[in-house]
Amino acid sequence: MTPDDTLALHNVSLGMGTPDVPVTGMNSALRRLPKVETSETGVTLRPGFVPAWKPYWPKPKTVALTFPEGIEFLPPKRENDDRELKSIAPPVAKSDKDRSKPKRPTRIKPPSDALSLQDRLFYVLQPPLESWLRGQELIMPFEPFPYQYEGIAWLFSQKCALLADEMGLGKTMQTITALRLLLRAGQARRILLVCPKPLIPNWQREFKLWAEELPVTTIEGNGSRRRAIWQIPGSIILLANYELVVRDFAEMQKELSVESGELRDGLGRVRRRRNHETAGESHSTLDSQLSNLPQFDLVVLDEAQRIKNRESTTAQVIRDIPRKRSLCLTGTPIENRPEELASLFEFMGVIPPAGSPDIRQLSRLSEDYILRRTKDLVATDLPPRLDRDEIIELTPAQRIAYEQAEKDGVMHLNEMGEEISIQNVFELVLRLKQISNMDPLTGESAKCDRLVADMEEIAASGGKAILFSQWTKTIDWLADKTKDYGRLVYHGGVPISKREPILDQFKNDPDSHLLLMSYGTGAVGLNLQFAGYVFLYDRWWNPAVEDQAINRAHRIGATESQIIVSKFICKDTIEERIDLVLRQKRELFNRVLGEGDNDNASLSLNANEIFGLFDLKARTKKGDAKPIGPKAADVAA
Amino acid sequence: MPQAARDKLHLGFLRIVATEAGYVGGMLVTNRLGRPLEFQCTTPVKANRTQEILYGPTLKPFLFSELIGVTLIDRLQVKPDIVLIDQQALLDLRKHVSLPIACLLEDAKDSHDLPDESRVSLGAQSLQVHVEHTCDVEAIQQWTGTIPGDADLREPLDRVREALEETLRSAA
Repeated sequence: MTPDDTLALHNVSLGMGTPDVPVTGMNSALRRLPKVETSETGVTLRPGFVPAWKPYWPKPKTVALTFPEGIEFLPPKRENDDRELKSIAPPVAKSDKDRSKPKRPTRIKPPSDALSLQDRLFYVLQPPLESWLRGQELIMPFEPFPYQYEGIAWLFSQKCALLADEMGLGKTMQTITALRLLLRAGQARRILLVCPKPLIPNWQREFKLWAEELPVTTIEGNGSRRRAIWQIPGSIILLANYELVVRDFAEMQKELSVESGELRDGLGRVRRRRNHETAGESHSTLDSQLSNLPQFDLVVLDEAQRIKNRESTTAQVIRDIPRKRSLCLTGTPIENRPEELASLFEFMGVIPPAGSPDIRQLSRLSEDYILRRTKDLVATDLPPRLDRDEIIELTPAQRIAYEQAEKDGVMHLNEMGEEISIQNVFELVLRLKQISNMDPLTGESAKCDRLVADMEEIAASGGKAILFSQWTKTIDWLADKTKDYGRLVYHGGVPISKREPILDQFKNDPDSHLLLMSYGTGAVGLNLQFAGYVFLYDRWWNPAVEDQAINRAHRIGATESQIIVSKFICKDTIEERIDLVLRQKRELFNRVLGEGDNDNASLSLNANEIFGLFDLKARTKKGDAKPIGPKAADVAA
Repeated sequence: MPQAARDKLHLGFLRIVATEAGYVGGMLVTNRLGRPLEFQCTTPVKANRTQEILYGPTLKPFLFSELIGVTLIDRLQVKPDIVLIDQQALLDLRKHVSLPIACLLEDAKDSHDLPDESRVSLGAQSLQVHVEHTCDVEAIQQWTGTIPGDADLREPLDRVREALEETLRSAA
């Protein structure tokens, strides 16, 4: 206490008077002196308000995401673990150029249709593909190209996707690697891969190369065996051809014999509603329909243009396969009309069943759901492709036969007048093309002479060539003429079991310089990148199919410094006229896919164009000539 | 250590980012090859003015370690064997949990300034442990053969940052 704080004492006089006594009689109390007591009280110097504070922090809330467990695979068994030690080259120091350009890791981006935070975080938190694939977990036989990493990341994140890379850019490898990652990440446990029958061995081989640890079961054998394979729950990847899938699923769907209710596609969407259904029936129908069919987490369609016709049985049956994800692979998403995309989009679940988007909508959907890269854009290290049209003069005997056949054919068609169908015109075209290949009477062939001359040079330099023709008969005939070059034959007439050995021999036998193939069997899926020459002995109707054929050789990993494509065209024949039309078609194809400049015109020869190959005129009753065109039915077809 | 136990190594990657709404923490648990197993993130934590004044310079370590770090580790279902961080302020988390915690050093030069008992190498990175818990060096060293020598341990922390950004974007 400070001196200033001392207390002062004061006397207080308490004067008491004599008050008037009220009538109430309380006078005695009023006269009594008041009793005064004092008590000591402390002087408070603290402020009147003391704020209280306790260090209390509520625990922050958390958001959790757990990742599904993936399938663990046993490492593939090695037949011989006592492998010889091989000397390896020491690591090469990176050049300045490599050092200055560090590779940007490829991250998996959430798809545009992933709305929930958990879904988006799932993709954001995945490791960069490079480190995932380079790790000890997944062994890759070769380092993928940057665009392939991007493709794999995109396929991994998409629930529905159409990978439409140009042929030769590695759609197979990107797909297999994406499947690998999906299985590892627990995003898929059962996958169906559907491809054309001739490509089954190709897929088996590629799976062995890129994902040896993945068990692949091929659907084959008789009906009961196939049924058993479909129902085995443990099979992870099923590989089947279109024909068997359609046959087996059509049968299984038929057995379900759904009488009423809503019919749903494989994604669970209402496809067709029966008139007499009741609301209660629809779900039970869906359950029975889906639960009895084999279920898949992912269905992959290779050469997906097989379902381009929405009304075809193949397209309908495949759309009904129960699945969660859908992936289409094709180098030619549009073979004829942009509308074909609608069928693929319906399978992918991008458009509603029977929906008919216009060109603008298709183009917009393409941006989200189609990934298409061309060689020009991504593979600058591909060897250049040199296309050369070899204009060939028919031999005299061929010329005579050709002109006679054309004259007779046109005359015959003119006589038929308006009765002629596209089939009649088609037959004449085929006849003339066959004569251009070879005169059936004398066996003379200007094309064969040119081929033999070219092959002399190719064989002498140790090169390899692939030849494509429309006819197996022509191929067999050419096989006789090209024996000296160790030719091998690969067409639909060759049993499937013998096809792989033929490809192996062509690849490994230094004396095999020529592989004769048919467009139908050899144009898709095969990897023949060690061949430096491609001959198109005759022309296919559709430039997209020709491109597929050429790209057997002109693809990633091509070993030749350049790929030379020779297209044989006989001068002043139907071939020249077809070539002109195809050339125009090719330009259109590039415009539609490349720049989104869509057009309804057909890209393969349509009925009008086939009729237009000849100057067909019917005689009227008055004796005038009237041009003949296709019938309405032909045009529609 | 048997191979099966080595394969079961779980790595935790913890990062805290400052946002306008406060500090947000995220923890990613991966397997030894960097594949994600679990992710937890907090809602933003912001100190008021009183707390800022009263905690002073101890505020950030408190928020980072005791509040956000401990909460995240408590909530994890998949418990990590090591927690890796790249923010020095998080090293104090080690005082509150019994897991080895190591901070990634920016470059090798930083590690030379540290005493031997506080630094350790893992994957392609040099790490610093808490000065009062140098026994963590030994605990971390037992995993060195399990993690590939070229593993970039900084990369998963970038994933955590991106995931936090994604979370904040979706909350906005």
